[in-house]
Amino acid sequence: MKGVGGDPGFPVVRDVDRVRRLVALPDVRPAMLDKLAGATVAMVGMGGLGCGSAPYLAAAGVGRLVLIDPGRVAATDLGRQVLYGPADIGGLKVDVAADRLARQRPALSIVRYPVALTADNAAALLQGADVVVDGLDDGSTRDVLNAWAVGGAAPVVFGGALGYEGQVTVVPAGGRPCLACLFGSVADAPAECSVEGVLGPLVGVVGSLQAAEALKWILGAGHVLTGRLWLVDLFTGAMRVVAVPARRGCPVCGATEAV
Amino acid sequence: MELKVNGGWRETPELPTVGALLTHLGVTHQAVGVLQNGQVVAREAFDREPLHDRDELEIVRFVGGG
Repeated sequence: MKGVGGDPGFPVVRDVDRVRRLVALPDVRPAMLDKLAGATVAMVGMGGLGCGSAPYLAAAGVGRLVLIDPGRVAATDLGRQVLYGPADIGGLKVDVAADRLARQRPALSIVRYPVALTADNAAALLQGADVVVDGLDDGSTRDVLNAWAVGGAAPVVFGGALGYEGQVTVVPAGGRPCLACLFGSVADAPAECSVEGVLGPLVGVVGSLQAAEALKWILGAGHVLTGRLWLVDLFTGAMRVVAVPARRGCPVCGATEAV
Repeated sequence: MELKVNGGWRETPELPTVGALLTHLGVTHQAVGVLQNGQVVAREAFDREPLHDRDELEIVRFVGGG
């Protein structure tokens, strides 16, 4: 059978074959795959973390990806943002990423927003997303995503990577706990990899784990990292998971609720 | 005093508060989360939350890059 969509001449991959290894997992039932096909995942940021997570979400059979990033590909991105190559420099990341992901899985529906997410446009950009994946490189916009999760619309899979250190946690819709329970506002957090550097594979490690958490959430399989913070230090190779309970009096998710 | 910090026991001088421990360890208070015996200590409470011998603490820096 010859291909349709983006690559005439290549064999069409039937979805039943694509997901055969997924449904071989003991707690994944074929009926759960409909959840994947019907799911929309918003990717907020298509830098290192987005490049690390989006291909696995596309490959696994997520129905629709919403790519949100105002940036253009720069030469300094190529050491870790593996969807992009030299010929893409100057192009919009959402356009280049969409082309790559469409080649990877022609049936994937992709929406592109070449804009920065803000408190003012978050509702318009994220409406309809079943899960939001944080691929940001600043703290203040993460406060916006945290508020979105706490507002109850969708869970947010947070990820961060800087130097050799990475972390992942999932804030469920409604919070309790949320990102601010442990950290307060993260608007002033160190985030600049041009200052602190970053080991390229770190963003792949963190992005892959974010994709795994998003897939687990959609499928209802496994134990999602809510109320827990996963930490990795690639300098030593050490990993830890820290339980983080909701904080009484959290200004974002707990002002009126006792723990 | 003896404290368990990020999974490892260590001897420290007598330190009155969580904030004093952060200062002793050279950790900035900026974008840092602290769990004391499994409970979150709010950043604004770092300098008044008392430390006790054999407290178990997790000190986590928020990592913002991406």
